[in-house]
Amino acid sequence: MGTLNVLNITNGTDTVATGYAINGSAKAWVNLTQVSTQTIGDSLNVSSLTDLGTGQTRISFSSNMSNDDFAGSFYTMASAGENSSNFGNHYAGGFGDKAVASVQAYSHNGSAGVDSGVLDIIIMGELS
Amino acid sequence: MITHLWDRLADAKSRLDPVQSKYRVLFENPAEPKEPASVLVPDPNFMAAALAGDVLPPIDTYIRDQSVPDGQPKEHPYAEPVGAMTEEEAIEYLVMKDISPSIWRDYKGNRSIMKIVPVELIPTNRSFRNAWEIAQ
Repeated sequence: MGTLNVLNITNGTDTVATGYAINGSAKAWVNLTQVSTQTIGDSLNVSSLTDLGTGQTRISFSSNMSNDDFAGSFYTMASAGENSSNFGNHYAGGFGDKAVASVQAYSHNGSAGVDSGVLDIIIMGELS
Repeated sequence: MITHLWDRLADAKSRLDPVQSKYRVLFENPAEPKEPASVLVPDPNFMAAALAGDVLPPIDTYIRDQSVPDGQPKEHPYAEPVGAMTEEEAIEYLVMKDISPSIWRDYKGNRSIMKIVPVELIPTNRSFRNAWEIAQ
């Protein structure tokens, strides 16, 4: 595996510093379901999920983040279905217990946790 | 020169087929006895990297890094990768990496608080998910 050491990337018209691409790319992402036996569909930089209870999942990173101030994006169906007819995403949900090695995701229906048919998470920030 | 772990993971994902493990790890936290049992599910891309070898760092680097303050350089990203593991070795690696040492190393009680089981033994009916506990 070779290494390119460059300060900038250009397409011939526009030029950006490589830092834009490095710092602006997702450092971890995962697609999973909380229904039945919680399962990961696909991912990058994830070592496992931990089913903590109804609607609660901890995502562990393979390569740690530098600190727990990373940002993330979270999508939940907030219902057991996986199709547009099952949208329940007017409900609440989000992250909790962020740490350098993991983040917890909660799917919530406003009064209690709910297992989500689709849960997508993207993590941005600085790697350790 | 050893590349960053994230780069090795991205490279491994581009060339290895994901592997869904046939195991799950059931565990309880003795510090929170009222919480339901947790279930660790291995990531399929992590499993592929573990089985292939030359991607993941030694597990002891993760354990040492747990005591490194946030924002300080960690050891595991640039540690020399370990060789191929069996699926069972990969599960043991994940237990030590992703479950608190207070559960897999330090617990001295009589109650069984952690079990590695085939996925078929995990209930698919989640009606009473928040009441799950490990059968003794």
